[in-house]
Amino acid sequence: MTSLDQLKNTFFDECSEALQQIEGGLTDIRQGHGSDDTINAVFRSVHSVKGGAGIFGFDGLVGFAHVFETVLDAMRSGDLAPAPEIVDVLLPANDVLTDLIAMSRAGEAIPPNYGQESRSALESLLGKTEGDDLGGDPAPADFEGLDFMPVMADFADPLDEPGDGKQTFQIVFRPLPDMLKRSSEPLYLIRELQKLGELDLTADTTALPALADIEFDRPYISWTGTLRTEGGRQQIEEVFDFVSNDCTIEITQEQPAPVASFAPPPAPLDEPPVASVAAAPVLPAVQAPSVVPAPVADAAAEPAARAAAPPKAAATTMRVEVEKIDRVVNMVGELVIAQAMLGQIVHGLPEETSGRLAQILDEVIHHTRELKDSVMSMRAQAIGAVFQRMPRLVRELATKTGKKVQLEMHGENTEVDRSIIERLGDPLTHIIRNSIDHGIEAPADRAAAGKSDEGVIRLSAEHRGGRIVVEVKDDGAGIDPDRVLKKAKEKGLVSQDAVLTEDEINNLIFLPGFSTANTISDISGRGVGMDVVRRNIQDVGGRITLKSERGRGMTLQLALPLTLAVMDGMVIKVTQETYVLPMSAIVECLRPSRSDIHNLIGGRGLLQLRGNLVPVVHLSDLLQMSSDSTDSDERVVIIADAGDGSRLGIIVDELLGHQQVVVKSMEESYGAVPGVAGATILGNGRVALILDVEKLSDLAIAQTTSTSSRARNGETAAFAL
Amino acid sequence: MPIAAALKVLVVDDQNSVRQMTRISLEQIGVRHIHEAENGVQAIDLASVQPLDLIISDYNMPEMDGMELLRAVRGHPAARRVPFILVTGRGDRELVVKAAQAGANNYVVKPFTADILKQKIEQVVGRLS
Repeated sequence: MTSLDQLKNTFFDECSEALQQIEGGLTDIRQGHGSDDTINAVFRSVHSVKGGAGIFGFDGLVGFAHVFETVLDAMRSGDLAPAPEIVDVLLPANDVLTDLIAMSRAGEAIPPNYGQESRSALESLLGKTEGDDLGGDPAPADFEGLDFMPVMADFADPLDEPGDGKQTFQIVFRPLPDMLKRSSEPLYLIRELQKLGELDLTADTTALPALADIEFDRPYISWTGTLRTEGGRQQIEEVFDFVSNDCTIEITQEQPAPVASFAPPPAPLDEPPVASVAAAPVLPAVQAPSVVPAPVADAAAEPAARAAAPPKAAATTMRVEVEKIDRVVNMVGELVIAQAMLGQIVHGLPEETSGRLAQILDEVIHHTRELKDSVMSMRAQAIGAVFQRMPRLVRELATKTGKKVQLEMHGENTEVDRSIIERLGDPLTHIIRNSIDHGIEAPADRAAAGKSDEGVIRLSAEHRGGRIVVEVKDDGAGIDPDRVLKKAKEKGLVSQDAVLTEDEINNLIFLPGFSTANTISDISGRGVGMDVVRRNIQDVGGRITLKSERGRGMTLQLALPLTLAVMDGMVIKVTQETYVLPMSAIVECLRPSRSDIHNLIGGRGLLQLRGNLVPVVHLSDLLQMSSDSTDSDERVVIIADAGDGSRLGIIVDELLGHQQVVVKSMEESYGAVPGVAGATILGNGRVALILDVEKLSDLAIAQTTSTSSRARNGETAAFAL
Repeated sequence: MPIAAALKVLVVDDQNSVRQMTRISLEQIGVRHIHEAENGVQAIDLASVQPLDLIISDYNMPEMDGMELLRAVRGHPAARRVPFILVTGRGDRELVVKAAQAGANNYVVKPFTADILKQKIEQVVGRLS
């Protein structure tokens, strides 16, 4: 990639930020809480797009951005009111701008007249008719008739010579061959010099011999440069007092520049001055010295105060390629593994040697964890990057369906790992499509139901308990359980005589092959159902839950992990095998007495836990391993959250401990294995599989229903508990 | 005759891409010491500690725009004599007039080529060698 291509990429990245700003700003203005600052920020963003597009030669973009900018400028100057009907023209204009940027980025030719409708609408706001010169070359690159006489800076007068009483000395410092042998260190002398003022030295390394010939105690380097100091020659000489026999030192004072008649630049030179504006009679002709700004001393107060005033330091940011950060993430992963190995060795050592070592290891573990967190925060992106696509989607869908929909967004700044953000776009888009298509009613129906004719979709994100929770909530009709059940029965997804709770019915929409719309609309009926949404979310280790209130709307909640690369795991042992369970899925671990567990037919048990019954299953049964452990009293039950809020007790032989583990994907090389989320490398260097609790729970259900085949295989149908 | 390679230039623009393009143009001219700032506040901070021979600043920036920066520079004890070139959009005559009044040494209209930039700089600092 050439540097120009990279710069173009940078520009397009900036464009994405700008588009987000524009969208956000316009939405604020539309909803009536925009201020002058909002309008300014929107204007500036469009202006930036235009400016950059000009520099990089995206002319199609410049033309449209110019018209857009002109309208915003009129709004900024108060010529155009920030009324909703005007913003309604600007929002689609931003959509066109988004498209134009996307096309420019992809290197596609922009079709002639693309976005003409929006452009005409913008132009009509300005009272211009098509064909006006708005979109063309708005003005020559230089201002004809504006006689801006460039002010020549006088370089004979050093620009940085503010006359503060400082003098500049030329210094040449050459250590003699014996200097180091006499224990004099040039570096200390240079540091001393530095204390006197502004030191600018250049090292002369020409005397440096080839590496093999270097004698370590001979100074080969000499220095020349300048020192600007308030002190005099004497102070400089004092620095070298003790080494005067070990080096040669030349100090010459530079002639102070003549105190110039060079007033600050706008002051008159011999020519009449700065600018004379023939073509702008409204403005005073710039004639020095009459309109020259007040002398510096006076003028200093106000702008300097201004300069000092902004309390908010600009956020300094740096763009780093994702791959670079990913490399660090991988290294942290390796570090975690190496550390675990070290831990194993340390714990294997006799107490007297391991004590201090273990203490240090704890510190290392602590730092690694922090390192991991900081790297992860670098990879984290505000979820707004996904949210920003939604307003346009909502707008377009609302227009298509003739419904009125308002989108509210909260928590756009919530940070999520990049890898998750990338995979969140499609499911969210689908959920919102569904919401508008099936959830929100037509204005008339809403009015009939006593609701305001404008539906509201609330999109929010927040950190909750080590997870990111994204919620899409609408105030539409909600799910009609009767219709869903009927449909499910028609499609054979549930048996005809099934009796389901309302919640169970609602969750039917996640089943593959379910689609309730009687006629497939071109909005959500694209062959992608909620089952795909659920799978997408599960693929990133998330869960989706649904709450629906008939006639009042529904809420879809996505709980996502903070990161995919490193996670907290519980290392467990079953028969001779070691596995890892994600900590996030574990509710509690306990060692129940035998009497608390009731065996059931079909390979399952029920655990009496504080008055509730929790299904329990032995992991070795679940994974179909031959179970040879007999000492059931030592067994531990891990109560895990199966994702949909239900609990599952998993019986394991031993808990080996809590550990951070690096998640290595298996799917790429091995294909998906039900119940297995990935693999990791443990401290002893061995590979352990990371289990997927949600899938385990599905497996448990599936196995219970196929006990007969298990019995044929000669396996014990009930636990040996 | 000022030596281009010795010129210390500060480029101020909130858009990284534009700063980099300006940097490329400056490098084509032979300028080697190029500092960058994202807005007026950063620029004035930098100008307070860094000797500069030229400031090339965009007008439209958040925090502190080019005009505010120009006034702050002209009022700054250490930086007040640093030549200032304002980068403007096309068609913004009034701004150029105001900039001239506030003490800008020159202006350049975006988008500009390296040649135009060189011409504008030379009008301020003299022919570059």
